[in-house]
Amino acid sequence: MNTRKNLRQIWLLGLTLIFLALLATLPLYAPTYTIILMTSILMYIVLTMSWALFSAPTGYISLAPAAFFGIGIYTSAILGTRLPLPAVILAGSLISFCLALLIGALTLRLRGIYFAMFTFGLVELIKNFWLWYEIQFTGTRGRFVIFVDNTTIYYVMLIILALLLLVTYLIRRSRFGLALRGIGECEEAAAHIGVHVNALKTATFAISAIFMGAAGAIMATRWTYVDPYVAFNPLYSFMSVLMAIFGGIGQPYGPILGAAIFAYLEEILITRFPYYYMLIFGIVLIVTVLYLPEGLIGLVANIRKRVAGGQDALA
Amino acid sequence: MTIKIIEVLITGLLMGGLYALVAVGLSLQYGVARILNISHGEFIMLGGLTTWALYTALGVNPLLSLAICGPVAFILGFVIHRTLFKRLLASSASPAIFESNSMLAAFGLMFILQNIALLIWGPEIRGYSYLVIPVHFLGTLFGANRLLTFGLALVIGLGFYLFLSLTRTGKAIRAAAQDPPTAGLMGVNINNVLALCFGLGAAMAGIAGVLISMCYPVHGVMGLEYTIIAIIVVVLGGLGSIPGSFIGGFILGLIGSVVTFFEPGLALVAYYVIFILLLLVRPTGILGR
Amino acid sequence: MATKGWTRREFLRGVAVAGAGLALSACAPKVTPKPAKDKIVVGMSRPLSGPQAIVGDSAFRPVYETFVKEVNDAGGVYVEEYGKKLPIELIVYDDKTDVGTMTRLTEKLIVEDKVDFLWPACGTSFIFAQAPIANKYGYVLITAEGGATTIKDMLPSLPYVFVTLSFSDWYQLPVLAELLSKKGAKTAYIAYIADLHGIEYSGVAGIEFPKVGIEILGVKSIPPDMKDLSPIIRDAKAANPDVFCCFAYPDQIMPATALSIELDFNPKAWVGGPGVNFGFYYTAFGPATEGVIGFTSYSPKQSDAARALAEKLYAGKPIDVQDYWGHPLYWAGLEIWKQAIEKAGTLDQKKIRDIIATERFQTVLGDTWFENGLLSKDCHTGEIGQWINGVYEVVGPEKWATAEFVYPKPPWPKG
Repeated sequence: MNTRKNLRQIWLLGLTLIFLALLATLPLYAPTYTIILMTSILMYIVLTMSWALFSAPTGYISLAPAAFFGIGIYTSAILGTRLPLPAVILAGSLISFCLALLIGALTLRLRGIYFAMFTFGLVELIKNFWLWYEIQFTGTRGRFVIFVDNTTIYYVMLIILALLLLVTYLIRRSRFGLALRGIGECEEAAAHIGVHVNALKTATFAISAIFMGAAGAIMATRWTYVDPYVAFNPLYSFMSVLMAIFGGIGQPYGPILGAAIFAYLEEILITRFPYYYMLIFGIVLIVTVLYLPEGLIGLVANIRKRVAGGQDALA
Repeated sequence: MTIKIIEVLITGLLMGGLYALVAVGLSLQYGVARILNISHGEFIMLGGLTTWALYTALGVNPLLSLAICGPVAFILGFVIHRTLFKRLLASSASPAIFESNSMLAAFGLMFILQNIALLIWGPEIRGYSYLVIPVHFLGTLFGANRLLTFGLALVIGLGFYLFLSLTRTGKAIRAAAQDPPTAGLMGVNINNVLALCFGLGAAMAGIAGVLISMCYPVHGVMGLEYTIIAIIVVVLGGLGSIPGSFIGGFILGLIGSVVTFFEPGLALVAYYVIFILLLLVRPTGILGR
Repeated sequence: MATKGWTRREFLRGVAVAGAGLALSACAPKVTPKPAKDKIVVGMSRPLSGPQAIVGDSAFRPVYETFVKEVNDAGGVYVEEYGKKLPIELIVYDDKTDVGTMTRLTEKLIVEDKVDFLWPACGTSFIFAQAPIANKYGYVLITAEGGATTIKDMLPSLPYVFVTLSFSDWYQLPVLAELLSKKGAKTAYIAYIADLHGIEYSGVAGIEFPKVGIEILGVKSIPPDMKDLSPIIRDAKAANPDVFCCFAYPDQIMPATALSIELDFNPKAWVGGPGVNFGFYYTAFGPATEGVIGFTSYSPKQSDAARALAEKLYAGKPIDVQDYWGHPLYWAGLEIWKQAIEKAGTLDQKKIRDIIATERFQTVLGDTWFENGLLSKDCHTGEIGQWINGVYEVVGPEKWATAEFVYPKPPWPKG
């Protein structure tokens, strides 16, 4: 029994590595636009997964991704010409990390919808303050970002995703992750049995911000020109939440599935049905939530059950 | 100087009244039905554009549009709850899951309503002039349209408040807000009450849209902006409380006018600073439970 | 939010599932190579949804739709190397008013759809982001909505980019300053939207107005999402300027106008744009528009060609759809595009670029050419417009004026 489980684990690990390798070799044979599109999809996966890293186990809905993503973007816009690319990305992650630590420490008291509202207000505050600052003190609204070629952006995003997968995996199997889920189930009880609730929450929140900041720092180079409204667009917060719910947050692969399918579907709609994109997209969202209340993972589970059922019948 | 202060204060209150009405519907929908209705602003947009269309095409007085948009939005909201959110409520495993699922559905609704409005009216900015006349008031000038919308916002808000606190239906709604299972046991048809709530919220949004169109240009993509205002006001005032919405609206309006008086560039920064500080100090809003 | 325990097995499976999904999407069907040329494919990323939709769909869209229909009805664009006329086929994508999506779709149009030509995205900051991409791939980009002093400095490094729209110091505000000073205006108050457009216009006005002896009494910035402008209008009224300038978008210009009427703020000149130049401004305010000043680039009264264009774009439509500032310039840009292809006799971007950069064209504006990537200011058939008797007239520069500049403007009508 145990060996069988181990075998399956090795098999899945191998599969994961194969897919990562497939993704890594993609630029060798795929057309240019596929790389560009994949970069964008990977970006959404990174945002959604890092959102889920904190929000899925704890149940705190954070609308802060746009803040950390935007910090990354501006780090790139400001430091891009002065530092080498890896340093810029590192700086973006670090600044996001520090900001997240601060926010985490400030919002310890906030629960449920109030935490969501706080993080939402924060994005708007940063956006409006930064706009005012830029106009008042730099006399401009936007900044140009250094140019980086598409393949490099793609690989950087892939590396960020690989690191994020690793961190998610390590957190999940550690006591750290167990305690985190404890918070989601009952914060008071978790505190009672000796979990350092506040420290744990803040730390996880800050770790998730690292990846959002890094994603912003590299994505900015694709956008050429950024201003506060572009960088701190609350849509990126909403997207992370929607994609995660769409995929299902009951399972770790839900957010990944949600982000990939959501982003790809959107791409199809805005290019094939530009005038009806919102209409179709809206209907898809509503139908999904009606028939798959657990998200897309519900669908996966259904199929698996059916397949397994079929196998049982055969046996 | 006194006149300046009066001006700034009244300007803030006038804006606040409108903000409050924008928020009342959302407050009800979230406070009672637990639906963070991101599509709230789309009902406002529909109200505004319908009023514009009726006024410019048929010369229908915007005040008459109140009596048209309110009930139509109510029916729309009621039907949406009966068909969509009722099913979600039944299929969601826990209240938390219902909240996130209903938010996702509301996003879908937002996309659909916006696209339909763009298909009908196009994205052009629409405006009309109604009672754009200066009125002398307390030694200074105000637009007649603004005073009228403020008065209407107060009357409608008060009427709505009385409806909730005095009528049987209103009491059922408040009971459902406080303790749904017990309210159900007491013979309240919970599904009906929730649909009623959602419909009333939509009706308030439609009405707010009519009033907004009297003072501001309207267009197909304006919705989210007002949803965000509504969310801020609701959080400031306290979820599910109508007086709370008015207090929240007035605070927001006053901060806006005072800060704009000194440095317009910081008006929105001030909104969010207050918003965030208040959340930290008093997370449940000024009148929140 | 109850979450079940995530085991390593489940986690790894998740990764595998996602990987499969990604791999699948990577293998999406590709556009098959085009057969022998029978059409010119033009691609665009436009804001069909999101905040900019209100700009894009009333500015460039009616122009390109009318243009494409007209050209195709006549058989298309004649290209010598194919020895025939090729009709234009449009590919339009929705960028949701998101710069990230716009840059991605622009590259999709170029590298995947392999469109023959790129037409512009909407908005100044979008052009800033799109221009370097078009230039990198060597695609001619004649822009529509958007233009700025900042882009003037960039253009030397962007040989494939051509800007059609007139803007602040190209050559609107110098003309405005001169008009006003001639009539004896001495003081001005400026409100501007806190973005590229507003900063630039208020900056240029800050240079041009004092040059002609107009003192600036106050400058206030308006944050883009601000609803209530009345404190600003009150402040302006208290300053009692001869000239009030509101350098913002229709979303602010319209409430600012309403507030000026409500607060009985009657400066001798009321300048606003973009916003005043649109037909819907007249629909909203009717006779109150009398004497209000905005930006423009032509009047149908100026020539037969101008009248014909107005006829094509607006006949049988409500006045709402008119835009005498942008539409003629965008149209001229498209005419230049077509004529350059015909002159080149090929679809080769480099050759077409060289022709656009160096030659002269006959457009609705008359003799038209680009000068260092900008539509020469000598081709503008107007800079400053004014609503007079319900018609948006050109009042400056005098050479192109279709009506006498009204100053001071009549007070707002009462009631």
